[in-house]
Amino acid sequence: MTAATAPAARTAPRTAVQPVTFGRLVAAEWVKLRSLRSTWWALALAVAFFPLLAAVQSASVSRIADDAPAGAFVGPVYVTSGLTLSQLVLCGLAVVLITAEYRTGQIRSTLAAAPRRLPVLWAKLAVLVGVTLVAGLVGVVAGWVAAAPWFEAAGMSVDLSQPEHLRLLLGVPLYLAAMAALAYGFGAVLRSSAAGIATVLGLVFVVEPAFSYIPWEPLQRFASYLPSAAGSRLVTSDAMGSVVAGSQSAALGPWAGFAVLLGWVAAALVVAAVLLRRRDA
Amino acid sequence: MIEAHSLTKRYGARTVVDTMSFTVQPGKVTGFLGPNGAGKSTTMRMVVGLDRPTAGTVTVNGRPYAQHRAPLGEVGVLLDAKAVHGGRSAREHLTALAATHGIGRRRVDAVLEVTGLTSVARVRAGRFSLGMGQRLGIAAALLGDPQTLILDEPVNGLDPEGVLWVRTLLRGLAAEGRTVLLSSHLMSEMALTADHLIVIGRGRVVADAPVEEVVSRAGVAGVRLRTPDAPRLAALLGREAGVEVTSTGTDLLQVTGTTAPAVSAVAAAAGIALHELAPVTASLEDAYLQLTGGEVEYRSAATPDPTAPTRRTAGASR
Repeated sequence: MTAATAPAARTAPRTAVQPVTFGRLVAAEWVKLRSLRSTWWALALAVAFFPLLAAVQSASVSRIADDAPAGAFVGPVYVTSGLTLSQLVLCGLAVVLITAEYRTGQIRSTLAAAPRRLPVLWAKLAVLVGVTLVAGLVGVVAGWVAAAPWFEAAGMSVDLSQPEHLRLLLGVPLYLAAMAALAYGFGAVLRSSAAGIATVLGLVFVVEPAFSYIPWEPLQRFASYLPSAAGSRLVTSDAMGSVVAGSQSAALGPWAGFAVLLGWVAAALVVAAVLLRRRDA
Repeated sequence: MIEAHSLTKRYGARTVVDTMSFTVQPGKVTGFLGPNGAGKSTTMRMVVGLDRPTAGTVTVNGRPYAQHRAPLGEVGVLLDAKAVHGGRSAREHLTALAATHGIGRRRVDAVLEVTGLTSVARVRAGRFSLGMGQRLGIAAALLGDPQTLILDEPVNGLDPEGVLWVRTLLRGLAAEGRTVLLSSHLMSEMALTADHLIVIGRGRVVADAPVEEVVSRAGVAGVRLRTPDAPRLAALLGREAGVEVTSTGTDLLQVTGTTAPAVSAVAAAAGIALHELAPVTASLEDAYLQLTGGEVEYRSAATPDPTAPTRRTAGASR
């Protein structure tokens, strides 16, 4: 194709090459994330669940509002009812963010450019957290807009001056980012998309509920400290939270629960970091 | 410059690279040869820190690879054509790599141009043929304009023009004083491209010398001839000390330890007609097969005796 153009590379002046910095790695990881179509499909889906479910849920409660006592429905809970499905998609994206590097062999290019390795793990994490925070926030706003037409009929409202409402709304991007970070940690440890996704979804949708259904008090107490159960306290309304806390005899407050989730995230990432340094790429 | 000292890699009980020491000098193309499983790729991966040595050290331009602040500016590496996410275009892949080192868009365009990928820069890499994948890998290796290049089987899957292009490119880079380490299974291509050879077998260096020296050490040079009176000529030639005659056909003889004029003189003196007389020089392939004959990890059942001085066609024993 280009035998004749080969000398061009050599007659040009030497290319300016800058040291690898954390900022440059973040920039590179952002280029990598945004250049994949699957990223945009996943983000669009994760955001779209919010207005979709917000509208459906608000519309359905608006029909029974007359039979319910005043203030029975907490507006932000209905605005953010897309959370569970959105979490599923974002956790999948987070796992694949790292496992696809191993599946495709891209990891060798990535680590050859950044042979200290650990900064790559953190740069990817930074991009992931940034993207999931934004997606969560956009989802919440879209959910609010979609649910608004039924607020009056359902007798509910969203009041940002109420600390509980603010927590429920802003907790969503925080919870999503933390769960995505946890999924990313699992992906980095397991290095396989199938295993990573199965582990995360299995934990959130099978293992955690299974524990909480077994009517044995110590087990239920333990279950309330599992990542998703603990972390979702941040996005659970006070009324619902007291019911849950009562049934499980575990009094994790919203922020305490979120802190427990962050503890799980830190643990997963520490294991991922140790393995990344030790294993051959 | 690449310097390995007692480099060792073990996977459990299996030693893939065994206390290997060598130096790859700048200003030359150094060929890295060895049978499948001899440890070439593992060694190359250890040079750029992808595999951790079990023991020993390897430095590039004076330091371990991971200690360079801008590694892509020191070493360009092509390990295999598949170190790319198939969902990204060639340009996006290179742009992401360039971003890690603050390399500008212009350089990305330049390496796309050099490797002939400009017209397919927006095509997703997953749709690339093996040859285009190799070109993208070479583009990535050239991105940081490095002093040292490490290329594992770069001509694998390239068309003849691409093979010629890689040869020209690598010889040009070496001529500028850069260090080029190249592995290939194509002996004829290696003979044309490399100045120096490091031959390994079972994780050990079995030869580390200039190409000519490796070839001449093979010592299978001789004369091939065709005559209707083969048995009588064979008897006459065999009388001389150091000469070995092998019959390779009803009227074909392979003679080592002598020269064509000497054979011709013996035949003329005895009145024997010669239909063909050709000096046979050892090829790199002969030399390679002799060197690695005892070191082959995965031998196919049909492998002929690698020390027999007969010429083989490429690929016959691999």
